[in-house]
Amino acid sequence: MGRETPTFQAFCGAETPRFQNDAELECAKVLDYYGVPWEYEPRTFVLEEDEAGRVVEAFTPDFYLPEQDLYVEITVMKQSLVTRKNRKLRKLRERYPDIKIKLFYKRDIERLAQRFRLDLVS
Amino acid sequence: MLELGAQIAADYEGREPVLVASLKASVVFVSDLARALPLVHALDFVELAGYGAQHETGGSKRIRLLKDLDADIAGRDVLIVEDVVDTGLTMHYLCKTFRLRNPASLAIVTLLDRPYRRLVDDLPVRYVGFTVPDELFVGYGFDLDERFRSLPDLHVLKHAGET
Repeated sequence: MGRETPTFQAFCGAETPRFQNDAELECAKVLDYYGVPWEYEPRTFVLEEDEAGRVVEAFTPDFYLPEQDLYVEITVMKQSLVTRKNRKLRKLRERYPDIKIKLFYKRDIERLAQRFRLDLVS
Repeated sequence: MLELGAQIAADYEGREPVLVASLKASVVFVSDLARALPLVHALDFVELAGYGAQHETGGSKRIRLLKDLDADIAGRDVLIVEDVVDTGLTMHYLCKTFRLRNPASLAIVTLLDRPYRRLVDDLPVRYVGFTVPDELFVGYGFDLDERFRSLPDLHVLKHAGET
């Protein structure tokens, strides 16, 4: 069964977004709910080229918030397993110092959506 | 709380601000802040439809006010009193909504702040109680499914199954 594709009101991109996972979809819903304009994967950043100038590594952040001039990357991996993604973000920041980007973990989106199962510990 | 009250009183000397708190988590904080603010001021409340509740009940898919302000804020100094500013999405909506009503000024006072999680940066967050790590809290107005609000102090939560 395919992932749902709701009608978004704050989406300001050209093509209908095709989300990779439920966390991305949830993030889109949250942004839409709060009326914050967003685009989905509007730009790919070249991170590395070989000697012939061919692109060997690139990175496409999931969301762009034009009013905030901010890119947002969503990861469904556990916070402890995002080394590779963090390395890409670090490269992006080095190569494009003027680009603002934030990494959001799955649990951040879940928090926004108020879907928690939590224990009182202290 | 006394420090926040003194700082706000100094900044708003000679004026009569309106403290606007959003129900329900900010109730305890605004109650303490109002009593720690040595300045004549008004109190008002708004209530926003929660994201989760809206989706579960199949209601509106846009944020909206369940309870609007009682007072007209045109020409008034408005201080939004918030329990925690996180992504800034809620504050972004409130600020945008209030600015349409032409207040003399608009600022935010928050008990807790997580600036590193901000998605919306252009917020007038002027007074911060504590900048906190990425933890969830209950007590002192903060709830978990409407429970624990009445705990007198803040308590840290962790996910079920975490050690």
